[in-house]
Formats: sequence, structure tokens, C-alpha cells
Amino acid sequence: MITWWQIILLSALAFWMIIDQLTVYWVNNPLCIGMISGLIMGDIKTGLIVGATLQLMVLGVSTYGGASMPDYMTGAIVGTVYAVLAGKGTQFAIGLAVPVGLLMVQLDVLARLANTFFQKRGERFINENNPKSAGRNAWLGIFSWGFSRAIPVFLLLLVGNSIVKAILNAIPVWLTNGLKVSGKILPVVGIAILLRYLPTKKYLSYLIIGFVAAAYLKIPMLGVALLGLALALINYQRQSEAQPKAAVSEYENAEGEYEN
Amino acid sequence: MKTSENKSLTKHDLFRANWRWLWASQLSWNYEKMMAPGYFYTVLPFLQRFYHDDELVEMMRMHDQFFNTNAFTGPFIIGMDLAIENHQGYAAKDTVAGLKTGLMGPLASVGDTIFGVIIPTVFGSIGAYMGLKGSPIGALMWIAVNLLIFFLRFSLLPLGYYQGEKLIDSAEGKLNLITQSAILLGLTVVGALIPTVVTVNVPLVFQTGKVTLKLQSVLNEIMPSLVPVLLVAFVYWLLGKKKVTSTKVILFVLVLGIVLSYFNILGV
Repeated sequence: MITWWQIILLSALAFWMIIDQLTVYWVNNPLCIGMISGLIMGDIKTGLIVGATLQLMVLGVSTYGGASMPDYMTGAIVGTVYAVLAGKGTQFAIGLAVPVGLLMVQLDVLARLANTFFQKRGERFINENNPKSAGRNAWLGIFSWGFSRAIPVFLLLLVGNSIVKAILNAIPVWLTNGLKVSGKILPVVGIAILLRYLPTKKYLSYLIIGFVAAAYLKIPMLGVALLGLALALINYQRQSEAQPKAAVSEYENAEGEYEN
Repeated sequence: MKTSENKSLTKHDLFRANWRWLWASQLSWNYEKMMAPGYFYTVLPFLQRFYHDDELVEMMRMHDQFFNTNAFTGPFIIGMDLAIENHQGYAAKDTVAGLKTGLMGPLASVGDTIFGVIIPTVFGSIGAYMGLKGSPIGALMWIAVNLLIFFLRFSLLPLGYYQGEKLIDSAEGKLNLITQSAILLGLTVVGALIPTVVTVNVPLVFQTGKVTLKLQSVLNEIMPSLVPVLLVAFVYWLLGKKKVTSTKVILFVLVLGIVLSYFNILGV
């Protein structure tokens, strides 16, 4: 069962997490949101597992230049709650959290659109030489952002409770098992998107080093991160030393054009 | 207003700008002018101090123009802007407008790579790896790192204010190098991520007469985590296709998991 104060707290968390992403950047990731949702639901481990799986899906997905991305923080809240309530395993809840995260893209777009309204009002106050009112419109967007996350979570938790249980009972076993496998392989998408974003082909050797360290040598993740840090530092030092020389090697050729 | 009459901004002034940017930079982010309201809000008290009447309106308009950069590295521009406006006043209007548009791109790419990709990759990988086992340590570590960055980010605006233009030239080469080295760290971690978090196996067993052949054992002899590697390579290839969006790929993989599980090709 979910109590009314849990619904309120989780809705408040939904409001805060998007504001957090736009301002202080403390907990704005599915992993931490999953953990906090788990804390609120009294099952921190489930929250961590749901959050961690969703975290792996968004590894390479970051919001730049105003592009909307699937909102797996909302997914983490809803997924954690469903996982705790249904008790049918976490991978299964992730299968439900993913569509929620995907649908949230639409509401992200809506919030960004709504803020154009504050932009227009701000411009009007600037032309009227009214700095105070213009300044206010520069932060009123907090409400469009916050409620774009809080309201759907509130509704999903309020009406979702009984509906989700009914759905859960109706789902056949092969689909439950299938969703478990999907939950396991979905992180592949996050990893692949990240590899597309990074210059993977140019630095493929580092990807291989990391893979060998984990798959063959069984080094834990923190250890691999330290290995990566060492490689990064070596690269930084070598390149720093090489840089003045590189600048010299850029010379003007006979035609008067610069060449590297 | 006479330019030389302006005193240097105090540390408190610079902190105030930092604080306003921290909260307002993206709250009214919109499709039309993106971070313009945030920039405008940040410099507003200084505009009111430097200018009056028509000049104030003109400068408010200028600072309400399209602006978009990374929220972490953006304050460097604000610091430079405040230094210039404090010295040159209204005469610097065009300089500042040019400075803002000129620097927002380069600073965005450094900031987005480091704060938007590499740090979430490294700490997201470590945190998720521990989180999948039910341990909150990785998540707490990430929060600690975020808090550290939270305090460090306040130093960029004063840096921009005191160092001004001369810094951006000398720093450019160094910034690229830092970005490049950070990418190497990120790729190493991702390499380790593939075998540790994508833990599916192939339950399929072939039987011919008395000989049973477990496909997974064969695959293991070729290479550990062969299936996860192939899956990543496959999705990587898919993402390179035209008209393939990440959302489509996610839905595709969701269905793929169900289908492969149904035919007993993949299992948990």
C-alpha cells in the first residue's frame, strides 16, 4: 500500500528533481532519484536497482541546446513505487518505467513552450522600463518546470495504484519474463548512444582496455575508473609537453598557406 | 554615466551574480531565446547600478537576446562581461553583445562534455554498478562529487572578472586537452561497463543424440561477455542509420528483449 504522505513526498521529489537539474545539480539522475524514492517507500534496495538500471540507459543521453530527452528520473520514481507495490521483481518494474520516461518527453516540451510566455512578458516589461517585473518573469518558469513533473507523478501514483495491480495480475508469464530480459539489455542503448557521442573510433583502444580490465581481469568498476584516470593523466602530461612543439610544427609553406 | 567613476565590484557583488545565475540561469529557459531570461536576471542589479533611463532599457534589451551555454561554464562570460561594463559602461554595449555570442559556444562544448557527459558517465557507471547490487555507496559518492563541483563552480565567475580576455586565448589549448583526457577516462569506464551491467546469457541448448551442447559455454570460450558486446555493436550501428532516433531504438530493444526471451535465445 502507498499512503497519502508518500504520494505527497514523491510528488514533491518530482518537482524538486527537475529544478535541481536546472540549478544546483545535486541529485538530478535516475540513480539518486531511485534511491530517494526507495527511501520514501521504505525499500531503498529496490529503489537503487530500478534507478541503477535506468541510469545505465541515460548514460549517453544528456540535454544540450534544449533538446528534450527521455525523463527516467520520473521513470525512477514511478518504477520504484510499482516495484515495491507489486513485488514482482525490479526488472519488471523497469519495463513499466521506460514508457513513462518516454512519454514524459512530451511534457518536457510543453514546459519549455510554456516558458515562452514568460519570455514575452519579460520583453514587454523591459520595453516599459520595469526591471522589477521583467526580473520576476525570468524565474517564474520554475512553476511550469516543476509542475510538468509533479502533476504526472501525482496522478500516476494516485490512480495508478489499483490500476497497476490489475494490469500486473493480467500480464502473462512470458511477457513478465520478456520484460525482465528487456530490462537487462536496455542499458545497451545508453552505452551505444554514449559511444556515438564520444570519439569512440579514434580512441577505441581505451574502450578495449576498460573491457579487458573488467571482463578478463575482473577489476571492480572503481578500480577501472582509477585505471582510466591514470591513462587520462598520462595523456594530459604527454600532450602538454608536446604542445609547444606542435605549435612550432605548424608552418607556412611555399604557397603562403598554413599547414599542420 | 562617466566610466571612471565606477569602483571595482566587490567579492560580494561577484557572489551575488553567481548566486543569481545558479538559480535563474535555466528556470525560464524557453525555445525562443533559451537562457536569455537567466542571463538578464543575473546582470539586472548591475545594469540598474550602471545605467539609467533609456540606456538602461537599451542594455536590458541587449541582455535579453538569445543566449545559450553550459550552466557550469557560463559564469566565466558573466565575469568578463561585468568587468568590461563596469569599466566602459554603455560604450561597451556592442563589445559585450559580441563577447557573449562569441564565447557561449566554446564554453558550452567544454562544459557539456565534462559536466554533461564524462562526470555522469564515470560516476553513473560506478554508482549503477554498485546500485545494481543494492549498495547506495556509489550513489552517495556521486552526490558528494556533485557537492564538490557545486562549490567549485563559484570560482569561474571571479576568474572571468579578474582575468578577462587574456585568459581565454591561453586557456583554449589547455581546455581542449582537458576535454580530450576526460574522454579517455570516460571510454575506459564504458569499456568496463559493458561486461558488468549487461548480464544476459543464452539458455539455448542443442541436443543431438547423446551430445548436449550448451551454447553459452561455447560463447564463453570465444570471449567473455560476447553477447553484450555484440548487442552494443549492433545498437551502435543502428544509431548510425538515418532516421533512427534513440527513442525508436529504446522501443525496439524493449520488444527485442521480449521476443528473444520468448524463443529462449536470451535469459536473465
